[in-house]
Amino acid sequence: MIATDPGLFRLPTGDEDRPRLLGSHAAESGLYFWPRRRRCPVSRTPVADVELGPTGTLYAWTFLHVPRMGNVSFGDSGGYAVGQIDLPQGVRIQAPLVGSQDDWAIGDEMGLTLFPVGVDDDGNELVTFRFEVVR
Amino acid sequence: MSTQMGRDVYVVGVGMHRFNNDALPTGDMGYDAGIAALDDAGLDFPEVGALYNGHLGGQIGIGVRVAKDLGLTGIPVTRVENASATGSCAFGEAVHAVAGGRVEVAMALGFDDLNRVGGIGGGRKKGLGAEDVMLPAAFFAMWATRRMHDVGTTVETYAAIAAKNWNHARTNPMAQRRADHEVTVEEVLASTLISYPHTSKMACAAGGGAAAAIVATEEVARRLGGPMIKVCASQQRSETYTDGHVFLGAVIGPAQMTRDTSAAAYEQAGLGPADLDLVQVHDAFPVEELVYYELLGICGDGEGDKLVAEGETTLGGRIPFSTDGGLTARGHPGGPTGLAQIHETVVQLRDDAGDRQVDGARTGLCHMAGAGSVCVVHILQRS
Repeated sequence: MIATDPGLFRLPTGDEDRPRLLGSHAAESGLYFWPRRRRCPVSRTPVADVELGPTGTLYAWTFLHVPRMGNVSFGDSGGYAVGQIDLPQGVRIQAPLVGSQDDWAIGDEMGLTLFPVGVDDDGNELVTFRFEVVR
Repeated sequence: MSTQMGRDVYVVGVGMHRFNNDALPTGDMGYDAGIAALDDAGLDFPEVGALYNGHLGGQIGIGVRVAKDLGLTGIPVTRVENASATGSCAFGEAVHAVAGGRVEVAMALGFDDLNRVGGIGGGRKKGLGAEDVMLPAAFFAMWATRRMHDVGTTVETYAAIAAKNWNHARTNPMAQRRADHEVTVEEVLASTLISYPHTSKMACAAGGGAAAAIVATEEVARRLGGPMIKVCASQQRSETYTDGHVFLGAVIGPAQMTRDTSAAAYEQAGLGPADLDLVQVHDAFPVEELVYYELLGICGDGEGDKLVAEGETTLGGRIPFSTDGGLTARGHPGGPTGLAQIHETVVQLRDDAGDRQVDGARTGLCHMAGAGSVCVVHILQRS
């Protein structure tokens, strides 16, 4: 299994059941960022790598009635959902959601999960991330 | 943070090639719009001291190449690109070239076909990246669902704004979408669902077209003898950090950009929202126009829905928005879009807008947002 964007997230390891996002923390401003920053864009001071997630709160969502996302087909499902999720560190993430619009409401707790998006030329499964409602 | 102008600048000419879905050569449309603006001003191209081309397409050097048909006069020609705000930024560069004393006369010329421009959401050969998931329709749909949650906005309100803009375009000869009937809320809601709550008739009309504006010093404007349309404010900003800042996948940045850019424009002009007679905004989707009512200070936060219900932003209302149909119906080719706003505002301030004329129009505001992201606000006033 290979992450499509290894600079944005990492796969679960050990007994973890969810992936983690790869962000930055600026000690001076106290702000967290995703994706990683070269320096804090507010205080222009150094940042350190930090892992973010794996859960947050749904801020906004939509359901796209289009059959494809990039080169991923959704077949008979009629489309796919995208949302914005607020992480506890004050970071807002925009990502696909699992399910359809009856499955969630703004304010629901959402968790990171893997999203298979195809195979590479060597037959390895490619995955990115999305969020699902935490039940 | 606001920029200032060294000397007064006036719009002396505007021209357009009708926005369309006809896949015409963009350079040909640009030439038509440029000539139309020169004719409108009563100028010949050698009198233009600098040209700023607004173009999103990928061809290197196209700005200079298109200028060759207007004339090999040796002037500086510069291509400007800032996504949807490209034409507005080209206009701003022309204004500041005159204001700062670089030239006496400058032209901004936008030409494009958005159907032929790769953009946000373009797929990759393999797999999928986080930037690939987002169509603009979906990004602004999230503004829409969040506002439904926060304010109680209904899908009917979004549809009413779109229907208004479709109907504003019905008598605009430059509009891409000219319905042959009164477009209703029901018709907008019944069109194809793209990204909840957005339907196809709520989405801006992507297509081709061109638009141009010529600006000049007061001395030149008085010599030309047309109506004196002054550029009272020219402001452009990029993002500042806000709570909930989305760095990856956001089509445009925080809504606060519009509040900050318009505040700077009002300060520069010495005017306020109550002084405006008409407004053009980046209404790529109706939630944007609704939010901009509030961010531009036309009404208080959360009060935009009431403006729609009472028809205050419709032609004939207190403060008409998107009088030429907006991005929704006049269209959104890319580079020319912001210049079409200038065209419409100038036509209105000259009292030449025919059936869609805003009575007594004296002051107009043009607002554009562009991916990346940027915000541009111009205020024009007839003196």
